[in-house]
Amino acid sequence: MTSWLYISPLMLVLVPFFVLPILVVLVASVFETDGFGGLIPTFTLANYGTVLTSGLTFNLYFETVKFTILTWFFTLLLGFFVAYFLVFHVRNPLLAIGLFLICTVPFWTSNIIRMISWIPLLGKEGLINSALLHLGLIREPLEFLLYSGFAVVVAYVHQLTIFMIVPIFNSMARIDKRVVEAAIDAGASRFDIMRLIIVPLSKSGIALGSIFVASIVMGDFFVTKVMSGGGSASVVGAFYEDISVLQYPGAAASAIILTVILLVMVSLILRSVDIRKEITQ
Amino acid sequence: MSAVPQSVAVADARVTKHAIAPSRGSRPWTFYVLAGLFTFYVIALYGPMICIYILSFQDVRGGLVFPMKGLSLHWFVDLFTQVRTGDVKGAFDRSIKLAIVVTVITVVVSFMSAMAFRRRFPGDNIVFALMIGSLVAPGLVLGIGVGLLFNAIGIETSPYTSALGAQLSWTLPFGVLVMFAVMSRFNPAWEEAARDLGASTWQTIRLVILPVLAPGLVAVALFGFTLSYDEFARTLQTAGPQNTLPLEIWSMTLNVTSPSLYALGTVTTIISFLIIGAALGTIVFIQKRRGARAS
Amino acid sequence: MAVLRGDIELAGLTKSYDGVTTVVQGINLRIPDGAYCCFLGPSGCGKTTILRMIAGHEDPTGGEILIGGENVVGLPPVARGTAMMFQSYALFPHLNVRDNIGFALRIRGLSKKDRNRQTDAMIEKVRLTELADRLPAQLSGGQQQRVALARAAITEPRVLLLDEPLSALDEQLRVRMRLELQRMQRDLGITFVHVTHSQLEAIALADMVVVMDRGEIRQAGAARDVYATPRDRYVAEFLGGQNVFAGRVDAINGDLASFASPQMKHIAVPVGSAPVSTGDTIDIAVRRDDVGLVRPGVDVAADTSWLASRVLAVEYQGNFVKVMLDATGTDEFIAYIPERTFFRDPYAIGDVVQATWPSHLARLLAKTTALTA
Repeated sequence: MTSWLYISPLMLVLVPFFVLPILVVLVASVFETDGFGGLIPTFTLANYGTVLTSGLTFNLYFETVKFTILTWFFTLLLGFFVAYFLVFHVRNPLLAIGLFLICTVPFWTSNIIRMISWIPLLGKEGLINSALLHLGLIREPLEFLLYSGFAVVVAYVHQLTIFMIVPIFNSMARIDKRVVEAAIDAGASRFDIMRLIIVPLSKSGIALGSIFVASIVMGDFFVTKVMSGGGSASVVGAFYEDISVLQYPGAAASAIILTVILLVMVSLILRSVDIRKEITQ
Repeated sequence: MSAVPQSVAVADARVTKHAIAPSRGSRPWTFYVLAGLFTFYVIALYGPMICIYILSFQDVRGGLVFPMKGLSLHWFVDLFTQVRTGDVKGAFDRSIKLAIVVTVITVVVSFMSAMAFRRRFPGDNIVFALMIGSLVAPGLVLGIGVGLLFNAIGIETSPYTSALGAQLSWTLPFGVLVMFAVMSRFNPAWEEAARDLGASTWQTIRLVILPVLAPGLVAVALFGFTLSYDEFARTLQTAGPQNTLPLEIWSMTLNVTSPSLYALGTVTTIISFLIIGAALGTIVFIQKRRGARAS
Repeated sequence: MAVLRGDIELAGLTKSYDGVTTVVQGINLRIPDGAYCCFLGPSGCGKTTILRMIAGHEDPTGGEILIGGENVVGLPPVARGTAMMFQSYALFPHLNVRDNIGFALRIRGLSKKDRNRQTDAMIEKVRLTELADRLPAQLSGGQQQRVALARAAITEPRVLLLDEPLSALDEQLRVRMRLELQRMQRDLGITFVHVTHSQLEAIALADMVVVMDRGEIRQAGAARDVYATPRDRYVAEFLGGQNVFAGRVDAINGDLASFASPQMKHIAVPVGSAPVSTGDTIDIAVRRDDVGLVRPGVDVAADTSWLASRVLAVEYQGNFVKVMLDATGTDEFIAYIPERTFFRDPYAIGDVVQATWPSHLARLLAKTTALTA
């Protein structure tokens, strides 16, 4: 019973600041708006109906899911191979930890700043275009670099690769090197080892990283808006706009749908990996 | 006698061959490809930020992009003195103070929660699920939810109530997860040995558990501080009338079109780096005094 | 301070989990004050659980534990006058040798001066004075063990409990540390209860060996009793050094039993006053070093039992040669032949030999049941 004593502070935070807010949003989603920012307490599923049948919703989800998949793909690729490099190719363990820390340090700085730091780089007058023009590789500045889907994905990958590197590094570091040696003894090629040993044994790290990346991208609202120059929208971005014009019930319905989708997705991924064992080993 | 060098040579050859990347000798081709990828990643990671730092020293006549027209501290001064850039100093102040409170609470609560999770208890899966849920749920939705909740109850949103709670809902899951990892290295036999020698529960915590876990607690503190200091989505709707630093940055992003935004970026990053340096330095110091091997 | 007795009595001691798995089955045992007692058995036999219950780190499901005559069940470890040396030592990694050893004193609130005085005396005793400022990570296995011992001994316990203290060490170190433990025990004069799965360790160290199997005591007694005169097949096989085989009794003449099977027609076993009748199947033990080997056709002395057998394997063991024989068909049969004797007429694999032993040296083993008394 002392366990409940120890866990009560955590519950004191989680209940009022996670459970209740979700419930409040849930309740708001079944209310009606009086058009002026007030809420009429009733029970109506009309909001959900509007959200689920609107073409706008479909577009929003399409955009958001598109960015999520692209981000996930590139962060996975980059994260996996960076972790692989650190675990298997760096000889000095102290150096590996040092390089690992170098990768994590930006995580501790402001993500908004990191996002806008791409602007002077990618813009029409930015560093990349200027360099390419100067080198004569292009004749006109590349427009797609900034205020486009490309920029959005770049910003997300820049921010989120670390979430892949850390758990995958963790999983890979636990692989018994002697298993690899045994495989080499048996004549396995480099790619065989990757396919048959490394990837399966890193599955839990990949799953954990995917949870972080997917939930952050799907739940984000400002990166998409800023880096696409308003050209693309995200589900939570639209939620934010709706809230700004006091369209609470509709926004709430949209938010609940997204949260449910996120929670379902995460619990599916978690069924294939036991987090508690993963972290505590 | 000649048999000995030969077997040693054979053993050496085996060692060099039997690894993805052998521990001695020449490197396989994949090493160079991967090293190149890693270098590219680090450059891409730090490059843009470094550009911002450089650009913040932009001359008065300069604009938001390269080339640099000269070097000056103009924009830093601009940042702190101009009204149109908002109340930056105040925002710094508020952010750091709030972050300190969040850090202390995060460390204490994460420690207690991880201690609780060492044994199964009724409902432990639910608590764990709630924690993960809080981590994964869209920050803005929770922020709005908290705002609506406080409105409904009739309390004003303010930094040390609603914003604090909202930020904790983000930092605590991280903190607890880090503590899980840290505690897994903790040998329960140490606790039993302490009890065997007569220590009470509190003495065991004070003399054995906390000192051994100290580097992990510093790591949790680092998480707590930086996550709070940089937190945006949840704080947006819960901070009340006055901005924290990330909110200030956000409004500048939308409104200000001068390098003073970059100057802000530089200053806030310096603070972050100082905190990180302090934390890492503390951990290294503790490890050195313990004579523990890097693992 | 009055010297407290450190004799231990376990009465009906039981431990079960969830009412389903019973790990310790109603143990009864008396350990005299100042004895070195070894609990011996394979993993899972309950020996560590018993140790932890004596220490107070686990609570029994039933029964009593009396130390110095008082029932300690329910008392915390520190109130029992016991101290435990943990497997892999559990030295506090953040404290140096001196602070590790002096930990218990610090808990009791001794002043730094008093603490250091007593701690330094103990450090002297275990001969670690030059290493007093080192951290556990900087010590060798043997040094860590001495720190663990000192840390436990400084509390002046009446019983010292050791959980497989030598398992973490390599072979040579293990032998050296055994002497260290013996020395400590004689020096301190208190009861030691030592849990191990190594029978050599147990018989080398212990005044009293307690052989356990699946939560029950099979035999408890002096090392020599347990090794040379095991009570039943389990003890004989666990301790080693014995050949154990079974046979159906054909006739009993005087106090010698003879057997039905043609293989065993030259064997006679003294059964004394044991309740054995014809038709019973009995277990017999013959010490491996009592067995001699002769070529077929060589005359065998009177009062000698012998078995015809074939050599399966020969293992040179330095002072003696281990010859493995196919004699009874079902059980292992091994002869330890003194090295010089063996090489006068060495046997090769496949040779037919007669395994002989003086009849009176064979022993009847009890049926395998738990020791209840």
